[in-house]
Amino acid sequence: MRKHPETDLVPYLRGELPPAERERVARHLDECPDCRQDTDQLRELLGELSRSVAAPPAVNWARYRAELHQKLDARRERRAWWWRPLPLALATSMAGVLLFIAVWGGRQVPTAGDPVTFEEAAIARNLGLLEQYQVVERLDLLEEDLDLMSDLDGLAAGRQG
Amino acid sequence: MEPSDEALCQRAAKRDEAAFELLVERYQGRAYRLAWSILRNPEDARDLSQEAFIRLYESAGSFGGRAKFSTWFYRIVVNLCLDQKRKRRWWRPWGGDEGDDQGESFLERQPAPVTDPVDKLGRDRTMKDLWAAVDRLAPRQRAAVVLQVQEEMATYEIAEVLKCSEATVRVHLHRALSALRKTMKEKR
Ligand SMILES: [Zn+2]
Repeated sequence: MRKHPETDLVPYLRGELPPAERERVARHLDECPDCRQDTDQLRELLGELSRSVAAPPAVNWARYRAELHQKLDARRERRAWWWRPLPLALATSMAGVLLFIAVWGGRQVPTAGDPVTFEEAAIARNLGLLEQYQVVERLDLLEEDLDLMSDLDGLAAGRQG
Repeated sequence: MEPSDEALCQRAAKRDEAAFELLVERYQGRAYRLAWSILRNPEDARDLSQEAFIRLYESAGSFGGRAKFSTWFYRIVVNLCLDQKRKRRWWRPWGGDEGDDQGESFLERQPAPVTDPVDKLGRDRTMKDLWAAVDRLAPRQRAAVVLQVQEEMATYEIAEVLKCSEATVRVHLHRALSALRKTMKEKR
């Protein structure tokens, strides 16, 4: 007797097999009491499962949609902030200005101390300012958006695959 | 004539809010039920099904229209749920979220059949055991069973949702149902 068509039994029961395969499984079932018994038990089990599908707890759909729109707005707002060219351009030039001050500001006021140490102190001071700037504060959001984008890429790739 | 899901999705891709709203109304119940069947937690199901609609809104443009919209969207829902289960497993290695609220509430959710109450009690208990066993299946096996039994999807559609071959879906279903049969035999 040929190999038992175990994984074909569910598609057979659900009428999903093409005629040739269906015929092959039917012939096997005629000859094999084990697979016949399996098929009967599977039929019973699938019937029990579909008769006993439970409903989830009820939902207020108007509230569900209102919540969804709030989430969507929040996401859009965050995204809009990142894609708005003006703040980004401002942020970049501001960072540039701060760095300039950090490096050159120190040189214009020479002191008796070690010049390198003085420069480093100026940079550190101005980096404190830089930290307070919104771009730096929102790096966590960027990270989350990148995660989302990579998820979406995955989805798109999956669709093509 | 009602616009098709696919047509609505293409309109939603062009930021047609009304089309998106219609899709949400059409799919909210199915998305929530599917998420709940995999996660068995109403709050998570609500949250993740809403997240699926946000992904739909943001990536509607990548729906090619070649596949069925429902299959494409179910994949988003199922992926989010399986990801959530993976993350939960990571910090709850003993699987504390498995089969949690299925217990008592299951009996209440069943329609009352017109049969002998003693029979009904025994039957309810069997069904409760059966679905508790479904909850203990590996996540992808469980998803395959839910998609087949509850969403009545064909094997090729389940394969599209789970992004695997039909042969793999057959193996998932075979293993899942064998495990369920074994559990039920032990219970009887
Ligand atoms: Zn056989």
